[in-house]
Amino acid sequence: MTSRGTPSRFLQSVLQNGVGRYVCQLKRLSIIFSKNAQSSLGVRGFIEEGVVDYAKYNPSTVVYVSPQSCRIPKIVAEYLNGNVREEIVTSKTSIQISEVLTKLTNQSGLDIIRLRKPFHTDNPSIQGQWHPFTNRPPCIGPIRPQKQDTEQGLSNI
Amino acid sequence: MALCRGAGLLLRTLLPGNPLLFPAACRTQSSVSGVLVPRTSLTSPPWPEQLPPVCEAEDARRQAAVVSTVNGSIERQDYGRLFAVVHFASRQWKVTGEDLILIENHLEAGCGETIRLEKVLLVGAEDFTLVGRPLLGRDLVRVEATVIEKTESWPKVHMRFWKRHRYQRKMIIVQPQTVLRINSIELAPRLS
Repeated sequence: MTSRGTPSRFLQSVLQNGVGRYVCQLKRLSIIFSKNAQSSLGVRGFIEEGVVDYAKYNPSTVVYVSPQSCRIPKIVAEYLNGNVREEIVTSKTSIQISEVLTKLTNQSGLDIIRLRKPFHTDNPSIQGQWHPFTNRPPCIGPIRPQKQDTEQGLSNI
Repeated sequence: MALCRGAGLLLRTLLPGNPLLFPAACRTQSSVSGVLVPRTSLTSPPWPEQLPPVCEAEDARRQAAVVSTVNGSIERQDYGRLFAVVHFASRQWKVTGEDLILIENHLEAGCGETIRLEKVLLVGAEDFTLVGRPLLGRDLVRVEATVIEKTESWPKVHMRFWKRHRYQRKMIIVQPQTVLRINSIELAPRLS
């Protein structure tokens, strides 16, 4: 759909992340896969090799591995702001799944919808916001209604 | 009128200097001297221009006084919040501490790492501004930012359609994005 028909939000961070310490926003990862299906082949390979290293490098994220009888293997990511994201990893290789995990780790849990502005400030003006009287010298005098004579037209052009 | 707001201005300035940083349509230092921009009713303010009488010694004294005031203020570090105009990712951003910036590409730094933004064009406090020509020195200003988030953009639809030609192509574009949090802007206590 167009950006007018879809929801949008402003650029923000979760609880001023980054002002003090940076906190990884991924809270919990659940890897749901099947033990015998062909679609979970890559997931099983990743669990054999890469899951332990991933959990070691991201100590703030809890990783759950749950083998179930399911047709579609999924990775469910839960974030600190409560959002839940599901990624379907059917027929993906182990390397692709680790890329998916890196992407999920680097995201914060905010919605992936259109961002209205690529910036956000809490202090937009430091020297004072401009208004029409900012640089107007007071020696000119107060504002008076313009004279109606035609000679007083725009003579500056 | 959104250009009047101070928050996170994307400045396309017409300052003279490096043409790579300032691709201006009208150069103020071209070979044609005289009137470069057409005069309209808004070229000059509607009140008569009042120039003070020119005296070089007086000007030099005033300039020295201003420089010494600004130097003293910087040495004592008694300015409040600083803002800076920074050139990054082919755009210029007006930036303060604790504000967020979205870059529409992939940065090499990982999440949580600190970055120094080096191309600073302007630094201002409430009482003074330091304008670079076109950049300020690296040992004068230090702008630091942290990478908070590296996501992908929302899926944008790119569709081409020609009517009456039975031609349409649809592509979904997802771009990598990086969010930076500006941590601090620091001024070194030394000016020439």
